[in-house]
Amino acid sequence: MKIVVTVKLVPDPNAEKRIDPQTKRLVRSGVETVLNPYDEYALEAGLQLKERAGGESRVTVFSMAPEPLKETLRKALAMGADDAAFLSDTALEGSDVWATAYAIAHALRKLDFDLLIVGGLTDDSSTGAVPGALAEHLGLPCVTNARKVEIAGEGLEVERETDAGYQTVRTPLPALLTTALTFGEPRYASLKGIMGAKKKTIASMSLADLTLEQPVGTSGSKTELRSFAPPAARGKGRTVEAADGLAGAQAIFDFLREKKLV
Amino acid sequence: MKHVIIYVEHRQGETRKVTFELATEARRLADQLGGEAHAVVLGAGAAELAGRLKAYPLDTIHVSEDRDVDAFLLDPVVDYLQVAATAIGPSLILIPNTLSGRDVAGRLLVRLAAGIVADVVEVRVEDGVVLCTSPKLGGALTTTCALRPAEYGIATIRPNSFEATPGGAGAAVVPLEKPAKSYAAAVERDVEEGAGELALEEAPVVVAGGRGLGGPEPFETLLKPLAQALGGTVGASRAAADAGWVPYNLQIGQTGKTVTPKLYIAVGISGAIQHKVGMRASGTIVAINKDPAAPIAEFSDLMVAGDAFRIVPELTKLIENAKG
Ligand SMILES: Cc1cc2nc3c(=O)[nH]c(=O)nc-3n(C[C@H](O)[C@H](O)[C@H](O)COP(=O)(O)OP(=O)(O)OC[C@H]3O[C@@H](n4cnc5c(N)ncnc54)[C@H](O)[C@@H]3O)c2cc1C
Ligand SMILES: Nc1ncnc2c1ncn2[C@@H]1O[C@H](COP(=O)(O)O)[C@@H](O)[C@H]1O
Repeated sequence: MKIVVTVKLVPDPNAEKRIDPQTKRLVRSGVETVLNPYDEYALEAGLQLKERAGGESRVTVFSMAPEPLKETLRKALAMGADDAAFLSDTALEGSDVWATAYAIAHALRKLDFDLLIVGGLTDDSSTGAVPGALAEHLGLPCVTNARKVEIAGEGLEVERETDAGYQTVRTPLPALLTTALTFGEPRYASLKGIMGAKKKTIASMSLADLTLEQPVGTSGSKTELRSFAPPAARGKGRTVEAADGLAGAQAIFDFLREKKLV
Repeated sequence: MKHVIIYVEHRQGETRKVTFELATEARRLADQLGGEAHAVVLGAGAAELAGRLKAYPLDTIHVSEDRDVDAFLLDPVVDYLQVAATAIGPSLILIPNTLSGRDVAGRLLVRLAAGIVADVVEVRVEDGVVLCTSPKLGGALTTTCALRPAEYGIATIRPNSFEATPGGAGAAVVPLEKPAKSYAAAVERDVEEGAGELALEEAPVVVAGGRGLGGPEPFETLLKPLAQALGGTVGASRAAADAGWVPYNLQIGQTGKTVTPKLYIAVGISGAIQHKVGMRASGTIVAINKDPAAPIAEFSDLMVAGDAFRIVPELTKLIENAKG
């Protein structure tokens, strides 16, 4: 099975984030770049399916990002991906969901795959709309929030999380899958994996390699950031050390009374 | 963008409060844009639900009870929405920001060549342009994005962001034409877990438990009675859901639900950033934690440092007694 996993490169989720008031973009300098945590689960799913399918199976990771972030993809190669494809072009700067999905879809058309696995969400922008948009552009069945996947005949049987519980869904291949975190914890890169990653290929693409019919980047975007502000600060409240259960309960009860919540 | 269309999420005709919030907001925005307010209701139970929606100030409710809607994964929904939007004409489409709402939105935006703003808590129209406000970067920023002038635009709306106010003269209910399509991803089984509970996103009070509870029982014996005494419901951290103590649909945070109750009580939850983004917009936050230095203290209005197993039963008693 030929599998492609999309991976966004994002600022460390645990680092403080800010937007440059001039460019209105996320400041990435001085913050370590990592694989979007959700995409690590997508990659884990890809690697597991590759192992299960056996044969000539392979996993390619794909990312669209500014050129200097390219080497971050070695982290995915160290986890076990066979190779990588990287789309970068200054004309992509400022792309919104529409333009991003449009460009990624065109780049993915250059790759050959039976299964496309996309993370469910990005840690830095969190629209969750890219997977569905990719499925539409590529004309693929779209099964989201997978927590368990079985290879069933020519297709897949997927157990997926829903707002109410879960569903079992059967889909033919090629298809697009997004993973829930319940799929399983992403593996760590082994030392051998890290060494091996240095020799793996990262194929670079620019917009010149794609045939786009519409503009991307800021001018090709359908939304525009107008303003931003920090939310109303939520100050640190009081801390009460409870001598025993009743004292703790009383402190909360009195507080709720004061706030007219009981 | 002239009209406003809401996508109504439901299961067998059972819907959430967000539907009525969207219906109310659709009217307000349609009036500002000089257009009409529409709703699209699909699948088993749609006709009955459309009847109830007539109590809200919509102009037209488009309905189909096509069996394919529930037999296949979202493909029919996207087709029907496309058919409806094309028939209605240029419009702003409001979709609940839920797991499946996000999926629908991502696909529809390609069909309609629409821009999208996600997790919106406020919508304004200024000089005919639709402006959407949403928390970003895990709530570290509040951004306002314009949907650039175009035929269609999409906003996914965070539940609990608008009032739900009945009114209006009763919308016309009209059937939707079945799109001529075949579908690939078939739903074989659809299982509900933790059904019958008050919807987490709508509960005025949420009592959430974490790893500190040590197992599934305390959710039943400790948290549920407290939640009931307060007229609320039980939620959980990912650690608790991962351990299998509660179903995943009770998980609060980045990968779970976003809740905005009047009162949030976090019991045995440390307050990791991924949990915080799902509950930081709550009215009042109270934490009960053994460790006074747990990160949750930084964004709680009251942190009580102590043993949850001793504090919670006493608290439930105090509240019960006060109610008499
Ligand atoms: C990509 C990604 C997405 C994630 N999404 C989410 C998400 O959506 N939601 C979410 O919640 N997490 C999410 N997480 C996980 C998150 O990082 C934390 O691991 C998780 O929230 C921790 O849960 P917890 O607070 O219950 O457990 P812990 O961090 O282990 O905290 C347990 C707390 O209980 C206290 N305690 C112990 N015993 C008692 C007692 N008897 N009485 C009182 N207090 C006690 C301890 O002092 C401690 O503070 C995500 C992580 C990743 C990487
Ligand atoms: N620039 C990108 N490069 C590669 N994959 C991306 C990119 N942006 C989004 N994705 C994929 O789309 C998923 C959802 O992103 P989003 O809709 O932005 O929350 C992510 O988890 C990634 O797998």
